[in-house]
Amino acid sequence: MLGLTGILIALIVLTIVLAVFFLVRPSATAGSAGKILAFVALFILPVLCVGGGVSAHMQRSEQTKFCISCHAMEPYGRSLYVDDPNYIPAQHFQNHRVPADQACYACHADYTIYGPFKDKLRGLKRVYMQYVSTPPAHITIPGGYDNNQCLHCHNGARSFEENPVHQAIMASIVSNQMSCITSGCHDTVHNVASLGHVKFWRPAQ
Amino acid sequence: MKLSQIGMQRLLRISGALIVLGLIVEIVSLLWFHPLAFVLFAFVGVVLIGFGIVVYLASLVFVVSPQAENRQ
Repeated sequence: MLGLTGILIALIVLTIVLAVFFLVRPSATAGSAGKILAFVALFILPVLCVGGGVSAHMQRSEQTKFCISCHAMEPYGRSLYVDDPNYIPAQHFQNHRVPADQACYACHADYTIYGPFKDKLRGLKRVYMQYVSTPPAHITIPGGYDNNQCLHCHNGARSFEENPVHQAIMASIVSNQMSCITSGCHDTVHNVASLGHVKFWRPAQ
Repeated sequence: MKLSQIGMQRLLRISGALIVLGLIVEIVSLLWFHPLAFVLFAFVGVVLIGFGIVVYLASLVFVVSPQAENRQ
């Protein structure tokens, strides 16, 4: 990640050097070589830099540390370290059932073609609420937590499909009629309100 | 004032300045690990770079070079 960002920053610095050249000496575009160089410096390279920047920011926003860098998300980040296997996010995070460095993204991303952009827009709305309007007292997921987020990994898994409880209600789970987390089966999720009374796991360094 | 009267060299200077500013903002946004970094990039950096590119393209389209004027 740092390597790609480093390459992007090197490209940006190169573009700045060329753009400064045309800022100082615009007369260099008199010749055909100068015109071509100006086209590269003032059109091609800036477009590449913007594209690289969008990609770098999208990739960065998939990281767990990015999500919990937001003040409102800090307790949700702490809940990943709760030392209790009933806490679904903590259990997934600590046992690497989801990539630890993309834990939030793995369970909350919209896995559709424009999903990352929709997530980014939703995130921008949260930023707006945090800094411009009033942030909500309780953070909720619009429309509730979709079972497809769980099924993205669990569907087809032997332990999930052979479980008799799951087998009996599979149609309701797949159609999202019965929620995995609010139907009483896996209802201990982040529970940030109770973080003051729980034991935390400390990973070995 | 018409765009063609501003002159290509001045438009190139404006374009270069906008692109340099936008790229500096992009570097800051890449080094700043905060949710607002994307806002800075998208709403300041991209807008500055975008305007810089538009000004450069406008200089190509609307400004008549002295050589072309002489040919006429």
